[in-house]
Amino acid sequence: MLKDITLGQFFPGDTIVHRLDPRTKLILVFLYIVALFQANGWVGYGVVTAVTALCMLLSHIKPQNIFKGLKPMLFIIVLTALLNMFYTEGREIIPGWHMTWEGLARSVQMILRIVLLITGTFLLTYTTSPIALTDGLELLLNPLKKLKVPVHEMTIMMSMALRFIPTLIEETDKIMSAQKARGADFETGRLTERAKALLPILVPLFVSAFRRADELAVAMESRCYHGGEGRTRMKVLRLETRDWIALVLGVLFLAGMIVLRRFAL
Amino acid sequence: MSIISFKQVHYTYPGDELESLCGVDLEIEEGSFVAVLGHNGSGKSTLAKHMNAILVPDSGEVIIDGISSRDEDKTFEIRRRVGMVFQNPDNQLVANVVEDDVAFAPENLGVPSAEIRTRVDEALRQVGMYEYRTHAPHLLSGGQKQRVAIAGVIAMQPKIIVLDEPTAMLDPQGREEVVSTVTRLCREKGMTVVLITHHMEECIGADKLVIMSNGYIHAVGTPREIFSDIEMMAREGLAVPETTKLLYELHNLGYAVPLDALEEDACAAAVAGAVKQ
Repeated sequence: MLKDITLGQFFPGDTIVHRLDPRTKLILVFLYIVALFQANGWVGYGVVTAVTALCMLLSHIKPQNIFKGLKPMLFIIVLTALLNMFYTEGREIIPGWHMTWEGLARSVQMILRIVLLITGTFLLTYTTSPIALTDGLELLLNPLKKLKVPVHEMTIMMSMALRFIPTLIEETDKIMSAQKARGADFETGRLTERAKALLPILVPLFVSAFRRADELAVAMESRCYHGGEGRTRMKVLRLETRDWIALVLGVLFLAGMIVLRRFAL
Repeated sequence: MSIISFKQVHYTYPGDELESLCGVDLEIEEGSFVAVLGHNGSGKSTLAKHMNAILVPDSGEVIIDGISSRDEDKTFEIRRRVGMVFQNPDNQLVANVVEDDVAFAPENLGVPSAEIRTRVDEALRQVGMYEYRTHAPHLLSGGQKQRVAIAGVIAMQPKIIVLDEPTAMLDPQGREEVVSTVTRLCREKGMTVVLITHHMEECIGADKLVIMSNGYIHAVGTPREIFSDIEMMAREGLAVPETTKLLYELHNLGYAVPLDALEEDACAAAVAGAVKQ
């Protein structure tokens, strides 16, 4: 069950999308999200869907991987769709029922919006290694250092967290097995009972996480870690021609979406 | 010339009543392979942590390559000279990719990018992990992870490597991988290696063996000298290598065998000689 966590998952590959600089991809995702929220008509949604599909094709990411990631969001998607369907004023589909044609159209657009939003961010995390992602983020947020925002500390915390996800998952599995061997029951009982059964897992997990953190800190200091000052990098990020082309295309896409919004298409 | 020297070092952990190090004097020569042996709680890890200024003595002095660990401004200088490898490989690897982890120390030192690349490749080749450079560390075996940790230290180009029970969590094969790697680094690259352990077999190849007990240094000598004093080892609750045990039993039965033949070949030759007589 714990193996299914998709957070921070990365599918290595060698496509044009994989080769783009992480900074470019971060900016593109930002532009994409803004553009997505400009869509207010069928043409607009059609354009965004087409662009998303094109990016998926270019990155060789299989649709089933996207669906897998969407699964946990299913409840929210269905709920939003239902609420929109019933709470929008307009012509009723069946007289006497609070379900309207306008509501139906709006729910479909809402579903599209959420699905496209998630798909876009997945395309980023699926095609960018966590290290590259945090490196890109640190460089993009660099100007904030002038405002005394601890950018380096935040990004190193992020990359450490990502590094320890598999280790902690393994550990949780081990503790669960140990508790099961002693007769613990995690699968049956009411919700409150099951939640209580998780306590004997969480306590040892936290204790060991703190011990790990302590050892890790000593190990990092031993390897001369002293914050972001004066640090160099093995892999230097450089914007190539393809990055500039991608950025220009991204801006054009956003501009196009704003124009479409003007005409409410 | 000694590269690390301990002078009357006393240390008590905050909140503890018992001293963990009670007046330790120790000299470690440059380029030598020193093994420190002792049972749990004997102070051997505390000793190791004094070697790169993670701990600073309460009284006495530790001098590393001419720098006192008391000098707080020089802590960084000490740490770039002394690489530390710890017991749990999972808790000392910082990156999701092997080569990024090895690059961590040189990145901290501000080494130019191109040189980091060559250092990382070189370090990974030296520990035999170059083919795994793009793997995720959590998918490697214990011995492999520990060799990556050693590579991460070599990339810093230290003069000294201190390994604090690096084999405690490994299977016999992983132990062999780690010990042969550090032995080679010492013999071929001239690095000073300090190996803290409680496995006798890992000490046989050392130049100098230090036995620690209750915060004191109990004995210092070559492995041959130390292991042939079987009564002392038994008093300390430390096992001796199988070869020494065999020769000791034979000796007690009246056979004329030397007690200091540690390696299996030497031991076999000694036994064969005794049988011929």
